Amino acid sequence: MDLSINSLSYTYPSGVLALEDISLQIAYGESVAIVGQNGAGKTTLVKHLNGLLKPSSGKIQVGGWDTADHSVAELAIRVGYVFQNPDDQLFQSTVWSEVIFGPKNLGKAPDQISELANAALQAVGLNTSAQKHPYDLFASQRKMVALAAVLAMDTPIVIMDEPTTGQDYSGTQMVGQVVESLKKQSKTVITITHDIDFCAEHFERVVVMAQGRILIDGGAREVLSQTETLAQTYVEPPQLMRLAEHLGMGTMPLTADEFVAYWSLR
Amino acid sequence: MLYWLSAWVCGSGKTLNEIISLQQVTYTYPGTSTPAIKNISLAIPAGQFCAIVGGNGAGKSTLAYTIAGFVPHFYHGTLQGEVSVAGIKTSSTPIHDLVSLVGLVFQNPFNQISGTKFTVREEIAFGMENLGIPRDEMAARCEAMMALVDINELAERFPLGLSGGQMQRVVIASILAMQPQILVLDEPTSQLDPIGSREVLAAIRQLSSQHQMTVLIIEHKLEWLAAYADRIIALAEGTIIADGSPSDVLSDETVWERGVGLTRYTLAARQARAEGRWPAGLKLPVTLEEAIESFQAAR
Amino acid sequence: MSEALSLYVARPSRVHQLHPLTKLALAGFMLVGGLLLPGPWGLYIFWALVTLPLAFLGRILNQLVIATLRVAFPFALSVFLIQGFLWTGGTPLFRVGPLSLKQEGLAFAIASTGRILMVVSSFLWFALTTRPDQLMATLSQRGFPAGLSYMIVATLQIVPRFQARANAILDAQRSRGLETEGNLRRRLKALLPLVIPLVLSSLIDVEERALAIETRGFNRPGQKTNLIVIPEAPWEPAARIGILICAVLVVGLGLWLR
Repeated sequence: MDLSINSLSYTYPSGVLALEDISLQIAYGESVAIVGQNGAGKTTLVKHLNGLLKPSSGKIQVGGWDTADHSVAELAIRVGYVFQNPDDQLFQSTVWSEVIFGPKNLGKAPDQISELANAALQAVGLNTSAQKHPYDLFASQRKMVALAAVLAMDTPIVIMDEPTTGQDYSGTQMVGQVVESLKKQSKTVITITHDIDFCAEHFERVVVMAQGRILIDGGAREVLSQTETLAQTYVEPPQLMRLAEHLGMGTMPLTADEFVAYWSLR
Repeated sequence: MLYWLSAWVCGSGKTLNEIISLQQVTYTYPGTSTPAIKNISLAIPAGQFCAIVGGNGAGKSTLAYTIAGFVPHFYHGTLQGEVSVAGIKTSSTPIHDLVSLVGLVFQNPFNQISGTKFTVREEIAFGMENLGIPRDEMAARCEAMMALVDINELAERFPLGLSGGQMQRVVIASILAMQPQILVLDEPTSQLDPIGSREVLAAIRQLSSQHQMTVLIIEHKLEWLAAYADRIIALAEGTIIADGSPSDVLSDETVWERGVGLTRYTLAARQARAEGRWPAGLKLPVTLEEAIESFQAAR
Repeated sequence: MSEALSLYVARPSRVHQLHPLTKLALAGFMLVGGLLLPGPWGLYIFWALVTLPLAFLGRILNQLVIATLRVAFPFALSVFLIQGFLWTGGTPLFRVGPLSLKQEGLAFAIASTGRILMVVSSFLWFALTTRPDQLMATLSQRGFPAGLSYMIVATLQIVPRFQARANAILDAQRSRGLETEGNLRRRLKALLPLVIPLVLSSLIDVEERALAIETRGFNRPGQKTNLIVIPEAPWEPAARIGILICAVLVVGLGLWLR
């Protein structure tokens, strides 16, 4: 399912211009990270993709649907949105009922719902916690419940807002594995993140935003090595790219494996 | 005052240099059966910049609250073993006496702003007002604290209208205004954006390096901790699994396996070692500087 | 960016410089007058002679009048329609179809509106010129329980955040396919997923706030001090007694005129 954003501009009711003439085409199956300082417009942009915000001017199409013509609940069948704060959505008394809430709303068949819920809980490592009350879990685990709740909706496009904030190392690894699994299923994954190392390791394309505009948009390797441009929006390059630069390595690595490979070739 | 005297008189036998001392401490939250921390024994000297790392659920926050006295006074539950700060036993001292000894800052800046003051300056004075500090002294400390965390230009602003990083610095200034001897911070940057994190961590670092404050910080930002902490204590499942310099603790394999994590530099070096490209005996790097040195040496 | 839920408007006026208790006394005086003076016209005279000049002195005349009328107008309209046309018996003034407007009903409506005008104006005048935290500090110093004053002032600052969170929850649940528009049954079904997260997350917040307040020594026994000096002119305590006497006189006048 393709995503098409054309000349999107958005002004808040208060009169503040949040997005200025944004155009972005995201093909199905792409993994895109949106980075940039707070206030750059990242969340504002992404909220247009599932209809939470409607453009002041310009058009957004999700697989041919114009978002202005559909409600958020209708678009939810195509676009899943994992919010940053899980406590904004948890209301059921068991993890299981929380996870099946989304697919139920989308009108999926019961056995399909069970299958999807099981797979989702497995993917976030909570399959043994299905009957627990979400608030008996740690905050970072609740974030995983919220993620599973969206995965179970089986949408072709998945948006994640700061999925690794508040996670420990193994939690971050798990989110990374979820992203990889979504990529394997040819789903479109869009994430907003401050964790630039996480971004480098899992996302093919990086969009850098500042003050309501797109600064750069391209492959992760090219974008993340443009240190000066990134600095304009207070983004630091990934740890391994910095190391590679100091060691005078020509090609910029995105993962530890690539780093070792390039380093040993020198 | 009385507690200081009694500590001297009773002769606890500990060196005054140990400002935090835990002996065989075990704590279980009310309504749970598994202890959150088990048999923890720890001594932290005055002025040390100490970091606590570990996976979520390892007991880091519980340890922080225990040192600050909120375990057991706020959370109740069963506390065994002895916890002393500045020679005073926390379990037998009321919490309002402990708060001027141990300052506690935690994750969510919004929930730590008192909600009763309309300017940052007054917000910083809130704790001092509760302690009954005279007005002139309060005014002087407000100015000093704002300068310390670099928020002078925010003095007349409405506290809840600030950015996360600014708000968290206001919270730190407010706690410091009460002049604690120890500052405990529980993931102070985990809800902040990179700029806010940088501002807060810079302020904390300055406290430790220029003002010799005893700082205990729980953080996941290993790269930063590796560069600036004096000592790292790693927790897993309620017990201490490692305790030493950042370079030692964060390059220790058994520590990674128990949920602490590692920096990308260590990860890359470990990968090189797995491929047989790393000289035997060369320590795995933890920071950028160490990595540059090690990778150059490894060639 | 948050604003507190407070009506206070800063102005360099003599009224703003008055001590909170003096303003409280004046507001109380206006309230007593508004409730006890006979209507209908006595109330409007009182409003014009006492409230409006006080608002002018406080340089908040515009805000006061606009806000008061905003509240009073819907009330006036409904009481006019109900009491004016549905008054049993009485002298009809003119007819509108099967209904007739009664003189007594009209008088009642005018008087009621006048009282609402006075009550709302008194409250607004006080809220527009007094900082809530200063009021609370004053009361605390005179023995008002600290916990209660904390709750009142903190609520003013926290409620806007509550509203912001409610919106975030609405967004999150709609994104999971929850329909919130439509017929009554659908709206009712949508209630739990919206209300429960609000309540639960607020409870967590309350616990964290309680901890934070504790770290600032809030529950320490003993006298608290104040950073900000709340100014009080030397003649103010005497003035407050004067206002109290005037209030008693107004009560007397009101009872005598009935």
